[in-house]
Amino acid sequence: MKKHEMQNVGTVFRYTVQQHYKTKSVVIFLVILFVLAMLSFPMIYFFNGQDKEVTETQITTLYLRNEADIPMDASEILADSRYSALKIENVTDDDDAMKQRVLSEKTAAGAVISLNAEQMHFSIRTVYGQNGDIENKDARTLNRVLEKALHQSVLKTLSVTEAQEATIRSSVVSQVAKTADYLNGTEETGTDTHVFANLFYCYLIMIVCSLSMGYVFQQCMDEKVSKLVESLLVSVSPTALLAGKCLAVMLFVFGGLGIIALGIVLSYFISKSLGITVSADLLQSFLHINLTSLHLSPKTVILFIVCLILAFSICMGLAGAAGSCCSKTEDTQQASLVVMMFIMIGYLTGAFAPMFERDSVNILFSLFPLTSVFTAFPNYVCGKIGLPVFVLALVLQAITAALLARLAGRIYRMMMFYRGAVPKPAQIIKMLREEKEAAKQAGKEDSHGA
Amino acid sequence: MGFSVTDLYKKYGEKVVVDHLSFEINEPGVYALLGTNGAGKTTSIRMILNMLSKDGGTVRWNGGPLTLQTCNIGYLAEERGLYPKNTLMDQLMYFAALRGVSHDEAKKRIRYWAERLDATEYLFPKQEGKKPVKPKKADQLSKGNQQKIQLMLALLSDPELLILDEPLSGLDPVNTDLFKGIIHEEIEKGKYLIMSSHQMATIEEFCTDLTILSRSKTVLQGNLAEIKKSYGRINLFLKAEQDLRRFIDGAGVTVLSSVGYSYQCRVTGEEQANALLHTLVSQGITLIAFELREPSLHEIFVEKVGETHEEA
Repeated sequence: MKKHEMQNVGTVFRYTVQQHYKTKSVVIFLVILFVLAMLSFPMIYFFNGQDKEVTETQITTLYLRNEADIPMDASEILADSRYSALKIENVTDDDDAMKQRVLSEKTAAGAVISLNAEQMHFSIRTVYGQNGDIENKDARTLNRVLEKALHQSVLKTLSVTEAQEATIRSSVVSQVAKTADYLNGTEETGTDTHVFANLFYCYLIMIVCSLSMGYVFQQCMDEKVSKLVESLLVSVSPTALLAGKCLAVMLFVFGGLGIIALGIVLSYFISKSLGITVSADLLQSFLHINLTSLHLSPKTVILFIVCLILAFSICMGLAGAAGSCCSKTEDTQQASLVVMMFIMIGYLTGAFAPMFERDSVNILFSLFPLTSVFTAFPNYVCGKIGLPVFVLALVLQAITAALLARLAGRIYRMMMFYRGAVPKPAQIIKMLREEKEAAKQAGKEDSHGA
Repeated sequence: MGFSVTDLYKKYGEKVVVDHLSFEINEPGVYALLGTNGAGKTTSIRMILNMLSKDGGTVRWNGGPLTLQTCNIGYLAEERGLYPKNTLMDQLMYFAALRGVSHDEAKKRIRYWAERLDATEYLFPKQEGKKPVKPKKADQLSKGNQQKIQLMLALLSDPELLILDEPLSGLDPVNTDLFKGIIHEEIEKGKYLIMSSHQMATIEEFCTDLTILSRSKTVLQGNLAEIKKSYGRINLFLKAEQDLRRFIDGAGVTVLSSVGYSYQCRVTGEEQANALLHTLVSQGITLIAFELREPSLHEIFVEKVGETHEEA
């Protein structure tokens, strides 16, 4: 590529960015994204049940029917300050009698504790009258207190201390590693964590690619649709025009992601200063994952950004090549199939990759450029591939991105004056060959003329 | 100084769309590129501007290759448009920046051209009352006014070489005169202009040299005055108060068309016309008009293009 072909990239970039952010709908969209991100921590906190319990109860009497073999220690219930004045009456009523008792008193609740020996679980069913003073939230709070009390009663009955219980409940993180990896601390993570890391990363890449695709299509067609292409090309080369626009798209996509990230970080710190905290343990226990087993470090953040940029570049190359063949908005449906196919193949490969526990499969997925975009980074942080393979994967991705960018540039230049149906790949290849021949011929004649 | 095109050639598949086009412009002025629809004019211009790859040929400016770097080019394309949702001022500033015109200079030039093209109200709208004035967008303008902005885009960089592809199509008579005035000014400034148009009268008004293309081939080329001179004064217009048909036929003159007692005729030369005039005078016929002139560009064009169509 000649140096002058890239002249004016900065001007195209500035203009595209300026016009994009001048659009009201774009600004509104970004503000909404930021607000939603800012609300993330408070939302998790509130929806996670931090306010699910009452601070003061309306329940004065509890009729308790204990069908389990474990004697319930009432003092464990009364230990909760909200229920210290609760009158607990042990009953052996059947369901109908229990119902009558609860319905006859406005502030009475009933609870039935049972043990399913076959499935090895306790159940606590708390009931309250619909026309009384007790709210559902109040009954749920009591249920939770009963749950804790039952747990303590079980420990007491079996003479198990809390420390012993914690030991029994300790989770097992199993890892397999080569001696060198073990010594470097780069052993593999468990499958659950690998699945989580892959899915999270694939999802992120899918968002980046889908967003870029739309923007790139729009940018490729802008000049064709507005019939401004010829006037522009006397001032800027097609390569510079496409490059400037792609850089702008990069800013739109990563700017959007940056705003979300900024919103989440701010949300975390503001929530923390207001006393609203969400524990990462909750997420880990819920998803059965162990985030500490991921090989994360400041270096990983840089690699993560590099991987995102490479994924974006490859997707943009494909979208640029496909989008350049479109003459009108309707054509983008057909062209988007090509890019969507790439995204879906990559996404599905990424999603299923952790299930293949063979090293060779992980290496293959990590090195093949189209699947590599989705799998190389999670495979690396999960210790499924080593640093040399990861670096090789990045190099291959970079080469692919460069080749695709070159191809997109050539197609964009060639198709600028093309009007009609989206050409088939064979037609495009033929046109590219003819174009190359013509360029060679013109080059020869220019040098003779000079 | 000078511009030249040598052996420009382009084919799509097996179809030749520009067949070895060559011409030179050695002095400032208007060079006309004429042809029927599909003759290869726009394709030639696109190849000249390096927007389309050539299958052969060279384009040179001052002895070197013509590129965006070697020549300041202004271009008003046949297929023209503007970004519909962007403000006019933004678009003009963008084009100026692409051509390396500084911000302040661009503002100055935009104001000059806005006044010259009577487009101030769109680019510098006056504020009425306290309500802020919204800048105009391209889709708020009529086609003719958009064309003014497009001409401004072509002229903003003060180009050395100006290529105008059908510059007057779609304009009303007032704006046509406005555009013509600007073209005359550019000629006076010593600019090189290449103009393509179907309006022969307009081309005739400006151009010194021309090339006529038909079905991708050059069918006529040279200096317009010399071409006309080479045809000689063979167009005769006659008008009288009585029927002249028998005298015209008797002199062997061909009548091309007639309305009432007005006749458009083709003579073989001035001698034949003089002989007819002598006969009419000797017969005591009162003539209202007797005009012997060279063929118009329109007639030359129709004749030349017609020949190639017949050959095909």
